[in-house]
Amino acid sequence: MLEQERNIAAWFYLAPALILLAIFIFYPIFNSFVLVALEDYNYLQQTYDGFTLTGNFRNVLNDPNFGQAMLNTMLITFVSVPVSVIIALLISVWLNAIPIQKIQGFFQTVFFLPYVTNAIAIGMAFAFMFNRRYGLINWFLGLFGIDPINWINMGASYGNAMITLLIYITWLTLAFKIIVFLSGLQGIDKQYYEAARVDSASRARILRRITVPLLSPMIMYITVTSFIGAFKTYTEVIGMFGERLGPPGDPNSMTTIVALVYDALDRSGVPGAMSEAAAAALILFAITLVFTFVNMQVSKKRVHYG
Amino acid sequence: MEITLQNLTKVFQSKKEDEVVAVDNLDIVIPSGKLYGLLGPSGCGKSTTLFMISGLLKPTEGKIYFGEEDVTPVPPEDRGIGLVFQNYALYPHMTVKQNIMFPLENLKIDKKEGLKKAQEIADLVGIGHLMDRKPAQLSGGQQQRCAIARALVKEPRVLLLDEPLSNLDARLRLQTREEIRRIQRETGITTVFVTHDQEEAMSISDEIVVLDEGVTQQVGQPQDVYDKPNNLFVAKFLGTPPINLFDGRIENGKIMIGDAYIGKSEAEDQEVTVGIRPEGFKIVERSSFQVEVEFVETIGRDTTLIINHPNVEVQGSFEDPEEEGDVTTVEDTEFEALNLEMGSGKSIQDQKTFRAIVDADYGVQPGDTVKFSVKPHKMHVFNKETGELV
Amino acid sequence: MQNVENVEELYEDEQKIRFKRRMRLALVYAVVIFFAIFIIIPFYWMVITAFKTETQVFMSPPMLWVNPVEWQWVNFSLALERAPFIRYLANTVLVAILSTAGTIITTILSGFAFARLNFKGRDVLFMILIATMMIPGEIFVVTNFLTITSFGWIEDQTFVEAVLAMTVPFMTSVFFLFFLRQAFKQIPDELYYAAKVDGKTDWQYLWGIMVPVALPTITTITILNAMNTWNAYVWPRLISQREEFQLVSNGLRDAFDDTAGRIMYHEQMAASIIVTVPLIIAFLILKKYIMRGVSRSGIKG
Repeated sequence: MLEQERNIAAWFYLAPALILLAIFIFYPIFNSFVLVALEDYNYLQQTYDGFTLTGNFRNVLNDPNFGQAMLNTMLITFVSVPVSVIIALLISVWLNAIPIQKIQGFFQTVFFLPYVTNAIAIGMAFAFMFNRRYGLINWFLGLFGIDPINWINMGASYGNAMITLLIYITWLTLAFKIIVFLSGLQGIDKQYYEAARVDSASRARILRRITVPLLSPMIMYITVTSFIGAFKTYTEVIGMFGERLGPPGDPNSMTTIVALVYDALDRSGVPGAMSEAAAAALILFAITLVFTFVNMQVSKKRVHYG
Repeated sequence: MEITLQNLTKVFQSKKEDEVVAVDNLDIVIPSGKLYGLLGPSGCGKSTTLFMISGLLKPTEGKIYFGEEDVTPVPPEDRGIGLVFQNYALYPHMTVKQNIMFPLENLKIDKKEGLKKAQEIADLVGIGHLMDRKPAQLSGGQQQRCAIARALVKEPRVLLLDEPLSNLDARLRLQTREEIRRIQRETGITTVFVTHDQEEAMSISDEIVVLDEGVTQQVGQPQDVYDKPNNLFVAKFLGTPPINLFDGRIENGKIMIGDAYIGKSEAEDQEVTVGIRPEGFKIVERSSFQVEVEFVETIGRDTTLIINHPNVEVQGSFEDPEEEGDVTTVEDTEFEALNLEMGSGKSIQDQKTFRAIVDADYGVQPGDTVKFSVKPHKMHVFNKETGELV
Repeated sequence: MQNVENVEELYEDEQKIRFKRRMRLALVYAVVIFFAIFIIIPFYWMVITAFKTETQVFMSPPMLWVNPVEWQWVNFSLALERAPFIRYLANTVLVAILSTAGTIITTILSGFAFARLNFKGRDVLFMILIATMMIPGEIFVVTNFLTITSFGWIEDQTFVEAVLAMTVPFMTSVFFLFFLRQAFKQIPDELYYAAKVDGKTDWQYLWGIMVPVALPTITTITILNAMNTWNAYVWPRLISQREEFQLVSNGLRDAFDDTAGRIMYHEQMAASIIVTVPLIIAFLILKKYIMRGVSRSGIKG
């Protein structure tokens, strides 16, 4: 643009947004690093007890729940994301194959419902659904002669509770993926399919060699954002298990890294808690960064743009 | 492989309950090993016919035979055809080599064998050195050759091309159409291609099929169709510059334009449209056909005289569709100002003028009065109403 | 060409092909319906439980269907007795309106600057903003909590302070700025020049031309932002110091905390419905915008 610089005017327009961003985005980024370096920071009295480079990180790592949080977060991320991506892909392909637009639209709406529902509300519904005695799932399994399973009630095993959580999270996250994949599929020029038919390709081959590669930018986007989102799992756990973060009698068994942050925040009066929260958040950030970087590298080989 | 189209009809039902008859009872035999051009304006049904031959469209009525076999119910993947799309439809994420080999993979051909075939065909079309590039890295002409290679690699019985030259710039078109002919000769595959450009069709086809609104207008060798058009449509469609059309009449065995005597006819008295090819005028000393020259265009070899004449029949122009556009053959003088010069060399019927191409030696100047005689074989007389040859 | 027998064979072939095609279509529908049921079941369970009596809820095997005549609408009033859900709804609506209004205004203004004005450091600044999108929200939460506290909005919290604490940090969004700038950039420069020639100021151009043209994007942003507020849990929970200040999500969770014995599922589900239904209704009405916004974010991504 060969337009003159309008610095003053620009800054006026930017001011409201920038002020808010400065206070609530930029300052916190900077402050996290400050917090993390303080020892025994007491925010109520604005006192602290010296500096530490790794002290707060060590506190987080030594937190009795840290190992569990790490394990859970990794499980949730590396199981629910691939599973939901694959299911979403299949559903989108089949959905796209429905010839009548109105019917396809109807199903689109159905599949999108989980996106607009409250994670807490529907988490509660899931929890009751998996109730050992009164839930729908065990009744259904009973039809096949399977004994009632203790999914998430008192005394439930870690494995069962985790499986239930994974099912819930997969269910919840399908919607977004399906919509993105569907719009991607609809953007693929029909002529490629016609050419492939003329080239005698079977449906399976068309899916594998034409559809998926042409869809790969979307798949990449979904995968990256889904992984990042999965690392931040917390509200979903609250929805299903409440603040206890686990079945009755087994608190914090379903805790996640983000839960650690909020745990620390709950102890805000305690000296050093804020710094721990900051440390946990930074650890989360680091994991996300590393992972996204790895993801980008992998995708370079497999994603075809254009 | 001989292609036979029998009573081929395609009717489209649009949402508003009206039907469009895209192809109306086509009966054509394309002999084995020949290069046939389906020619006609936009919307004449040529692409529809091509896609029915390919199997991507099902005919409403009629049958298609490859040789003795009725392929009408056979899906495209089993017909053994090669199809080159107008936009090439090259898989953007695969290399040239992978694109060409894709059909072979589907036909379960051994990989080494397939690689050999792919290289052979790529060399044949002239892109053998580009095997590892992706389509986006190729020029338009190279992309097209890749599409052709992909179609040919499975040694199809029939090769189909949808407007193969329309996406290329003018310079490339000349080159590429020769390439198509060369490739067809070398492989000997029965080939059908679709185009709206009559020059293209005429230059490389063994025979052309002229279509209008789904109906066959004329089939024959290009020169024959040009020299002996069956009806007004064919006469108008072929020829650059286009044929000149005059309001005229047949009176007592004489073909008259206004007061000028043009030639003899054995038909009965009637109102006619007289079509005279630009090259059909000869300057003579004495003739009742006398005109004043308006403009003179010299291109060295020939001189084109542009002449006003009250009897010139004004018809609309054939829009040269770079995109899919509506064609209106309009017999309405109000639409004369449709100046649709589109770079393919076609020009329009200007209002009430006609073009005569004469020898430069005559040294005609604007404002001169010239007398013409008309070469009988360059003149075609059509009934005013039906457009049929008289 | 063909003798009579062959014609019949060919007819059979055609039938076979048509049959295969129909089978394939049937399979597609079967699979889609199967997954659709999988999606619907939790909703169905939520609804059916909300209309049961206490006895019916604690039945094993569970009742799968309740006669509409016997639906226990009373569960909703029971739920409302447990916790002031209407209050929560109202709070949420208020917070949603305020934060969305704030976001719209700040985004429009800054979007205008980024899309239309030429100023020093523009591109660098934009890159920095994009970079912040990659940072997990938890980093901000910690400090923001401290900041809000230092504003005095936590200590002896009044309703106004609670509302402020829940809206002010969210009165701008880089995510929405990104999209709005995109939409603004699509408006041809010529329109701006023409407006200038007509003597219009930037402000008039922004509100008179750019905003109306970008209205679909703005609508989508509004809706998505409102949805986020509705489903927000962690920040409201952190901030609200009194029960009356809660929003629907954390209000719902607190109301049915199962540490105090058995959960009254029918009430809990009724409450869940109160919380979910408004959003679902909004979705059904505005579904075009919402789905388009989501899919577009995928394409840009």
